[in-house]
Amino acid sequence: MKNEISEQTLENRCPACKASISFNPTLGKWKCDYCGSEFTLEEMQKSEDNASTEKKNAKKDQVEDNYNNYISYHCESCGAEIIADESTSATFCVYCGNTAILQSKLSGKFSPDKIIPFKKDKEAAISAFKGLSKGRPLMPKGFNNTNNIEKIRGVYIPFWLYDLNVSGDVVMDAKTIEKWTIGDTHYTKTNTYKVTRGGEMDFLNIPVDGSSHFDNDIMNSIEPFNYDEMIPYNHAYLSGFYAEKYDQEGDSILKEASDRALNSARNVLKDDTRMYATKTIVSDTLVSNEKNKIYALLPVWMVNVKYNNKMHIFAMNGQTGEFIGNIPLDKGKTLLYTILIFAISMAICIAVSYFIFMGGQ
Amino acid sequence: MKKVITFFWILTIFCTNILIVNASPITYDRQELDNMGVNKDWTITESNKDNVLRTPAVNAEAKIYDFADLLTDEEEEIVKSRAVEFIEQTKMDMVIVTANFSYYNDSENEDYAADFYDYNDFGMNFENNSGVLLLRNANPEDPYYDMYTFGNAQLYFNQYRYDSVLDGIYDNLHNQNYVEGFKDFISRSESFILSGEPSDMINYYVDEKGYLQKYPETYHIPWSSATIISVVITAIVMLILIRKNKMVMKATQAGEYLNKKSININNRKDVFLHSHTSSYTVSSDSGGGGGGGHSSHSGSSGGGHSSGGGRHG
Repeated sequence: MKNEISEQTLENRCPACKASISFNPTLGKWKCDYCGSEFTLEEMQKSEDNASTEKKNAKKDQVEDNYNNYISYHCESCGAEIIADESTSATFCVYCGNTAILQSKLSGKFSPDKIIPFKKDKEAAISAFKGLSKGRPLMPKGFNNTNNIEKIRGVYIPFWLYDLNVSGDVVMDAKTIEKWTIGDTHYTKTNTYKVTRGGEMDFLNIPVDGSSHFDNDIMNSIEPFNYDEMIPYNHAYLSGFYAEKYDQEGDSILKEASDRALNSARNVLKDDTRMYATKTIVSDTLVSNEKNKIYALLPVWMVNVKYNNKMHIFAMNGQTGEFIGNIPLDKGKTLLYTILIFAISMAICIAVSYFIFMGGQ
Repeated sequence: MKKVITFFWILTIFCTNILIVNASPITYDRQELDNMGVNKDWTITESNKDNVLRTPAVNAEAKIYDFADLLTDEEEEIVKSRAVEFIEQTKMDMVIVTANFSYYNDSENEDYAADFYDYNDFGMNFENNSGVLLLRNANPEDPYYDMYTFGNAQLYFNQYRYDSVLDGIYDNLHNQNYVEGFKDFISRSESFILSGEPSDMINYYVDEKGYLQKYPETYHIPWSSATIISVVITAIVMLILIRKNKMVMKATQAGEYLNKKSININNRKDVFLHSHTSSYTVSSDSGGGGGGGHSSHSGSSGGGHSSGGGRHG
């Protein structure tokens, strides 16, 4: 069965020795582990055997046919569908860590518009994990031991990047406050205004992850990606990494981007009224319109950490190196720090009050 | 016959005496008295000798000294009996003096009152020569009155209380309704003394010379406020520390994806709805609290006393 698939999969082969070749994030090039040769995308594209060739990427119909040649892994546990090229075999689900995954041909189309290639390699993710102890006194001792890393995989996560136009009015209740003193009497004059601000503005490439298997909050937390390095999708970048097919699209995804854009637009319009002391939005007619959307693969290192028999998911932005996740709190340390900080605060308060008292004498 | 003559003689002397006592307070010649009649601890020097000689020496038991003749004999008795009540209640002396002299400065009245109290035996039965004196200067050009406190009596009056007493009796004194005015003065003073020391005087005591002195303040650990501040600080610091472990946050804004050049605000309307002005007054008198200081004035005797501030009218 596997051989059949292999025959049909897209392969990235070394133009020099024809061995299987992977993309090296730190070099930004393809490096052959066998002959040591390095190739740029252009050089890779010249080699006819490669999945990166213009022929295999250019025409939509043809490309879609080719997508059928990807290997798809279906997780029986969480339902995630993981895609990899022939050289990258999956032995567990990158999301839930389950090893019961079914290998099959990719069904349906897989046609991302853009991709941001990995820039950070596995070692960067491991050292970021090791560096978690820095400035985090409440982390359980030994949590960041690399032995706790159960799984670590570079995954291209499917994202929808929305261009939105937001337009409409915001109506605010605004007040100016003026204070003055005559003799012993203090006056406060509050003027209330109904303030309207309206207009429009564009938001570009608001990312929303299109995978239901991945926590949206984690994806939010590794933002932002630098879109300057976003390039047209090419199969070659997938070598050595996994990808997922989007399983969410349409209005529910759009709403996430749209809510963020509307919130920011409200703030922009609110900030246009600086002369007021207080401003409260009472109503708005803001609407967002989708102008464009891009299906892009964005690079994320997924790190599954097992600590005290509990799984903790960490993620690193494969482009910027932003490493996030929720670290459990060490209960003993938390209690100790609470008591310690309270005691120190008390001592400082008492010392300050004593010095103030002595100063007044 | 001899008995009858003796009876009339005694009656005559008695009546004359009563007439003299009530008509004008008996004063003594200080030159002839022991230590010029000063029984208190003041040192008499060349500098205050004139003050002592100028001050009428009187019987301190009379309490009412109507040199300006504003009261009838009966009225004096009424006021005196009220003063005696005051003395019993408060264990402080009460002296009411009327005079009639012209003055250039209000302080001349104060000097007169302080000397009158200090160089007579007022307050000698009480701790620190404590007592209250009201001076009414009935000078027709510029009638004036003020109250003076001596010894511990100073501890019971802050400016608010002085003003309350002096303003309270203004109408009666201004309308020459003296009996009521003096009785009211005694009552008001008595009720303030019986109600205890005002809070801003709690840190004061009176020294043996009659001066107000502030107790050296002792440091008390402000447990409750220190605890509240510490709880707040601890909560903030712990939240910051916990936040370092909890890095996953939902994004609610898209500011970093805003194309700033595309912002086009084309509708700006500011409609004035209404205005509201509120005010509050901070009284500079009451605002002082513990911060302000209270101090005694110095008399020619070297002793201290306090005064209410005086009223013209």
